[in-house]
Amino acid sequence: MAHYDYVEKAVTVSRREFLGMVGVAGAILWTGAYAATDLVQDRNKYIKMRAQGIYKDDVKAKVRQSHHNPGLQDMYKQFAGQPLSPLAEELFHTRYIDRTKLG
Amino acid sequence: MKGFQTNERTSIIEINRKKCKGCDSCKSFCPSAAIQGKYGAIHSINSEQCIFCGQCLINCPFGSISDTVDTVDTVIHQLGNQELTVVATIAPSVRVAIGEEFGLEPGTLATGKLYGALKQAGFKIFDANFAADHTIMEEGSELIAKIRHYLLGEPAEHELGLLPQFTSCCPGWVRYVELYAPQILPNLSSAKSPLMMAGALAKTYGATQIWQVKPENMVVVGIMPCTSKKFEVSRPEFSSAAHYWQQRGSAAHYPDVDTVLTTRDLARLFEKMNIDFNRVEASTDADNPLAQYSGAGTIFGNTGGVMEAALRTAYYVITGQELPLLEYKPVRGLQGLKEADITLKDAKTGQVITLKVAVVHGIKDNLKPVLDQVIAGRSPYHFIEVMNCPGGCVNGGGQPINPMGTSWTGNWKALLPWT
Repeated sequence: MAHYDYVEKAVTVSRREFLGMVGVAGAILWTGAYAATDLVQDRNKYIKMRAQGIYKDDVKAKVRQSHHNPGLQDMYKQFAGQPLSPLAEELFHTRYIDRTKLG
Repeated sequence: MKGFQTNERTSIIEINRKKCKGCDSCKSFCPSAAIQGKYGAIHSINSEQCIFCGQCLINCPFGSISDTVDTVDTVIHQLGNQELTVVATIAPSVRVAIGEEFGLEPGTLATGKLYGALKQAGFKIFDANFAADHTIMEEGSELIAKIRHYLLGEPAEHELGLLPQFTSCCPGWVRYVELYAPQILPNLSSAKSPLMMAGALAKTYGATQIWQVKPENMVVVGIMPCTSKKFEVSRPEFSSAAHYWQQRGSAAHYPDVDTVLTTRDLARLFEKMNIDFNRVEASTDADNPLAQYSGAGTIFGNTGGVMEAALRTAYYVITGQELPLLEYKPVRGLQGLKEADITLKDAKTGQVITLKVAVVHGIKDNLKPVLDQVIAGRSPYHFIEVMNCPGGCVNGGGQPINPMGTSWTGNWKALLPWT
């Protein structure tokens, strides 16, 4: 017959030590979570910084409305006529596809 | 494969099986539930459901997702061919992000350097901001025609789509509609995206009037913050320029836009060609009409930008006066759904109408209520801008991947506050 011999662990943790360990573990978890939240917020910071760059480009532009773009006005005069003209419809507009019906 | 047209690319985004840890982060960013695999198991992407936006790619903590279309070497080869004219079409949000790949702060406006570096590489420039202005003219005119017909009761000259009108600049959003909400296709603006307009215009007007070259010897390269654009250029309907020349006796076939490089791809191209972005002299293209753009064109890169640009023009066309304050704040910022209304007095008839607009960015979190209203026919809006990526194109799937936002578990620098 097999003989099982259980021995009580020699190492014991006092209440004080246990609380200390919980404290340390908690601190580590808390810092980690703090760092992770920071990272998520930083992601938004990146989006905001890039967005600000774009708004700066708008503010410093001499012309700020599409209909005043001189190059575009020339293009319509020399080539497409006006928005939604037959040539504009042919070159600058499209149709969409119901992909649920494609094989 | 289901849901694709002939010759379309069927796969853009791929998960590397060796690097995937099955952490499910990507799933929390995927707007179309295209990522398969249980928590802890290796994930994969179902291309039939994927809209190729690349949000999973830029947000994977382990850097295990990549886009599979790499045309950097092809473009370098084409740049070396003297017979070809290679035209770069630069999206608005590339100029505020490309610097990050060379150590500049995010948001640094690098238009001059970008022009300089592209010219040094041998590109001709067709700024997509010009095409954005162009989109406003076409898409805005479409909206104005709908307002005149449905709100002011004027008879329509053309066949018109329905109100509310949705924007159609974002290829991820367009594919989303085609796959998941085809009933609202009549609400989508028929205007092409700025890149596609740029391609069609470059190979017609650009070829004959600006660069005096044969359109079949042109290569149009979209420099985009977006991976879904790599799918968009493969759509067979976007060969309008070739069709235009076929009616005028040409036999050649070619797409309007030949290829797309993301912001990350472009940085690699500069490195491969030994172009030191930080030392390049800034350049302008002042005498090139296709590089002229307005402030309205450039804000397309932000969520709310298309709306703001469209309002600046629509207000002018309907009321006969410029919008009093150009910075239209209600459509700016990172709030999930932005709403605004604007009162317009029709210059022709004196009628007063209130135009209600909405801006959605981040399809995953913010689209559903707005879309449900439209499908049920209860939408209070007239014009709705949708961008797939949270924040708009500035946060697109082709933008530089930052140590702060992404791939951070493998990058200790991001976790240590003093580095």
